[in-house]
Amino acid sequence: MWLLSGLAAPLPPAVRTGAIVAVAALGAARDFGVVALRLPQNARQIPQDVLMNRPRAGALQFGFELGTGVRTYVPATTPYVLALGLLLSQQGPAATLLAGAAFGAGRAASAVLAYLSRSPDRAAVVALRLPLLVKGASLSVLTALTWLYLG
Amino acid sequence: MRAAAPGPRAAGRLRRALTEPLLPVAAPALLAVAAAARDATVLCWASVGALAGYALSGSV
Repeated sequence: MWLLSGLAAPLPPAVRTGAIVAVAALGAARDFGVVALRLPQNARQIPQDVLMNRPRAGALQFGFELGTGVRTYVPATTPYVLALGLLLSQQGPAATLLAGAAFGAGRAASAVLAYLSRSPDRAAVVALRLPLLVKGASLSVLTALTWLYLG
Repeated sequence: MRAAAPGPRAAGRLRRALTEPLLPVAAPALLAVAAAARDATVLCWASVGALAGYALSGSV
């Protein structure tokens, strides 16, 4: 993302700033169901035999595919807002790596909480909260980026 | 006199409350907005990253 951000360099700063806020607003509008927008994703589940046949290498492959979104469902727009925002804002490598590490931590938090909850109904609870969770995250991202770049 | 230890039901309720799926949205959301208000760009993007990662909770 840091390397690709050079592609946005020819754009004037005001255009890039406006584009970041516009992308965040479009993302929030999509998550709130105001606009219908198909986003690029490889929407399929990772097959179970990835974990069954090779437990250790399979776990790594599973984590890579799930964590990076190579082969999984992407129910929220905020990851796309993050990627485009980092590309347009031209953060340095350290900031981009930190944002990526935070993305990974946020991704892992869900699994850690599921483990700690010890609840057999965890998937149902998460599914119930998911619409609010996605909307809350999206609205927070829009608020923060608008404040950061237009405030 | 010692207070009685919480029973398994109380512990279960506490565990459910502490692992509520909406809780991890609040912390990075507040952090993102606070960082934006203080022009802390790097921290703001890191918080946005955490929110983006956690928003994929339902993804399998």
